[in-house]
Amino acid sequence: MHIFANPNRFLGIARPLTPWLAWGGVLLVAVALASGLFLTPPERLQGESVRIMYVHVPAAWLGMGGWTGIAIASLMQLVWRHPLAAVAARAVAFPGALFTAICLVTGSIWGRPTWGTWWVWDGRLTSMLVLLFLYIAYIALADASSDKGGSSRVAAIFGLVGAINIPIIKYSVDWWNTLHQTASISLTKNTIDGSILWPLPIALIGFSLLFGAIVLMRMRALLAEARIEARLKRMADA
Amino acid sequence: MKAKHQRLVLALVAVAAIIGAAFLAMSALKDTAALFRTPTEVAAGTVPTGKPLRLAGMVVPGSIQRDPDGVTIRFVLTDEGATAPVTFRGITPDLFKEGSGAVAEGKLGTDGVFVADNILAKHDERYMPPQMESAMKSEKDKPVTGGAGEARP
Amino acid sequence: MNHWPFIIAAYAITIAGLIGLTLASFAAMRRAEAAADAIRKKP
Repeated sequence: MHIFANPNRFLGIARPLTPWLAWGGVLLVAVALASGLFLTPPERLQGESVRIMYVHVPAAWLGMGGWTGIAIASLMQLVWRHPLAAVAARAVAFPGALFTAICLVTGSIWGRPTWGTWWVWDGRLTSMLVLLFLYIAYIALADASSDKGGSSRVAAIFGLVGAINIPIIKYSVDWWNTLHQTASISLTKNTIDGSILWPLPIALIGFSLLFGAIVLMRMRALLAEARIEARLKRMADA
Repeated sequence: MKAKHQRLVLALVAVAAIIGAAFLAMSALKDTAALFRTPTEVAAGTVPTGKPLRLAGMVVPGSIQRDPDGVTIRFVLTDEGATAPVTFRGITPDLFKEGSGAVAEGKLGTDGVFVADNILAKHDERYMPPQMESAMKSEKDKPVTGGAGEARP
Repeated sequence: MNHWPFIIAAYAITIAGLIGLTLASFAAMRRAEAAADAIRKKP
């Protein structure tokens, strides 16, 4: 578990891995979106608008996955005092927030021609908006902590407590009457016809790889800034 | 490592408590957070008249009628338990169709007819290309509320 | 209603957001790692 505690070991893996994740992600996303735009049929009810699924669903999964990552990193920081945990959580925050925002915006765009409205305060949409607000609060808290490498315990506790929202989002469509549909894909079932479904896993993997590359880049930047701060401190003390 | 062990147990208890609180809160808010009422609730008399609210269900096939004035439409919403008549003056969304889900925004009249001032369409979680749907229709003779997911529009 | 303007808008926002985030993260990383290397060489 502590193999990455020494940043140099982490960097030794992160540096070569970053371009692979980035280019792999770009390639798969390009294939998935081109397929979703030109190779798949429209849906019997939703028509062409179903193609928005290939950007909206990955954004939703990564927005939620991002906060899950923050919660796990926060747990590792608080329980195991893992030194890279706080850095990882901070690196995930803005990308996670951006994907959540993309989910909300693309969802709204999808809603207008299908449901007939840009927005409705149902359980799914409201809880996703709450997630965006939680991200913004988390980013503010994490930035307020004075040292870059550093472990703000308040931010970590917030990251952990905020995870309460993730099962709420997931089960919102089952628990409450919502305008948003129930899940098409789960561990036990799939109700999307294969001809429409196939670019979606490619998109999910592609967006995830790209997300990974972005998080690694942000972690590397935070670690470099921590090294600079430490060096300046040593030089000042000398 | 006793201290670490203690911290882990504390953290897990905290996480369990948080998730428990979440489900408790959701359970308490179940009815207030519901976006719409259902025809079964209308039939049970638990839906107040004269108050703005939403009513959702599946549009009963064959129930859409246009009034002689050319603007007002009437249709019937159903969930598996009951039906509820709706009237509406205005433009319906593209996805508003018989056999598909709809959400009517408006008020329930004392005569039991829901007067809508806005209609939203609601699609379920099944996605299929158009050819598949017409193939399905010609092969099977489906009852009005048949099929998985049609009771939950 | 023609759906294609909605599709294009959704894809454009997603792609623009992704490209922006990737480039910004990359630039920040390069800047920070270059500064860290430079300061390491200082006596």
